[in-house]
Amino acid sequence: MNTIKAIFDYTFREHVRHKVWLSAALFGLVLLTGGLVASALAQDERARMMLDLGLAANELIALVSVIFLTVHLVLQEIESRAVFLILSHPVKRWHYLLGRFFGTLAAVGLAMAAMGLVHWTLLKLFGWSGGGSYLLAWSCSFGKTAVMGALALLLSLALTSEAAAMAFAVFFWILGHFSAEMRFVAEKSGNVLLRTGILMFSYVAPDFAHFNYRDAWHAGPPSAAWMVAAALYVLGYCAACLALATQIFEQKEF
Amino acid sequence: MKALRFQNVGKIYRKSHLGKLTETVGLEGLNLEIEQGEVFGLLGLNGAGKTTAIKLIMGLHLPTTGDVEVLGRRMPDVEVLSRIGYAPEAAYLNKTLTGRETLELYAALSGMAAASRPAKVSEMLSRVGLERAADKRLAEYSKGMLQRASLAQTLIHDPELLIMDEPVTGLDPLAIKEVRALILWLKAKGKTVLFSSHDISEVERVCDRIGIMSGGKLARVMRQDEWRGKPDALENAFASSVTRTDGVGEIKLD
Repeated sequence: MNTIKAIFDYTFREHVRHKVWLSAALFGLVLLTGGLVASALAQDERARMMLDLGLAANELIALVSVIFLTVHLVLQEIESRAVFLILSHPVKRWHYLLGRFFGTLAAVGLAMAAMGLVHWTLLKLFGWSGGGSYLLAWSCSFGKTAVMGALALLLSLALTSEAAAMAFAVFFWILGHFSAEMRFVAEKSGNVLLRTGILMFSYVAPDFAHFNYRDAWHAGPPSAAWMVAAALYVLGYCAACLALATQIFEQKEF
Repeated sequence: MKALRFQNVGKIYRKSHLGKLTETVGLEGLNLEIEQGEVFGLLGLNGAGKTTAIKLIMGLHLPTTGDVEVLGRRMPDVEVLSRIGYAPEAAYLNKTLTGRETLELYAALSGMAAASRPAKVSEMLSRVGLERAADKRLAEYSKGMLQRASLAQTLIHDPELLIMDEPVTGLDPLAIKEVRALILWLKAKGKTVLFSSHDISEVERVCDRIGIMSGGKLARVMRQDEWRGKPDALENAFASSVTRTDGVGEIKLD
């Protein structure tokens, strides 16, 4: 645990010093512009528009950050050979991966929290009266971010190309919003091979339906079971990606 | 117990590109034993197999054939790494951290107790002459300062066995003198030192024994009494033992 914590600490520090928090400034800029447009276009719906815009911007900035950071996370240390020195100490490779992953997730989570705080304050100024639903929405975005981070890390180790890993991560992110549709297409398909292929793909790609708080909220505040299922999905998906990433990393020679 | 033992160790690098497999011999049938408290120098041209041998010791590479034993443990073995200090050929350190943070990181990775780390880090910074630059980021360090920080991380956990890959390559004459003094000081403290070098004059000044490597094989092992007091003995032995295998021809002088 000590080695995981040491790697977590230095990864977190590294990201903070690389100014990951600048994403909050970018977010502020998006909100400011959005606020001006909303004021001009929809006086009565201003708070709702700001809510939607802010949540979408927070999630998108976090996703771009986590994909970019995790794809570079290990490959850059291999390139700079810093990994030689770390692994020449009594550090198990899965400790290294966990420390790097959670350090990155914590840095992105911090940036997301900063963006959320700015957003929340602005919403209150615009007269928004929502409560716990905001925290739920933020948690769902964070869940998606964690899943995409773990997947991007796995892709970077499997493909060993930063550009390819980023492209595939974005592809999976898009697919993740269409899991139900993929299953529907699979059911309608008469071809067994095609059906099996699409079904497999729909389960391998992350299923973001688990984080669709809007639909869940539509039928009343989401139940504890819904939230636990979403949390378990995040844990399960991340654990599977990290286990596979460890398998690949264990085989690597430096 | 031997500090190091190579038993018929071979390493073949396999690379596949567009279905074409290329094999390169890194090491071939290496048999070598190094006693505890001994200073052993690995001498050879580029591509002779020195770094491959060192990476096998550190568990960064896996042997294709044979066994590598370090301090009585068969490699790869993560636990035994806490008894080894490794100085790579260049300072592969994370430049976003300060000198102090770097040493704290490596002290933690070496398994040092949290309570004893701050004092040990300060002592080590002072020992390598970096106390005034301790809180500067490594990005601001000169090459010589980085080399010292790298040496400090090698020594911070008081290892029994020190592995140094090309420790004097690229250093100025004063720094070379300091590294030489460090190796002799380590020897006086009963540590085992293995280092690789191109530099015959450095090797002959500090080593108890040397191994001349060529084309992945150990061409010859010499004891100190075979070169001490005999001008050019080591240089002549080296010239007659090695052949270029890196595909580079001689410089032609008309």
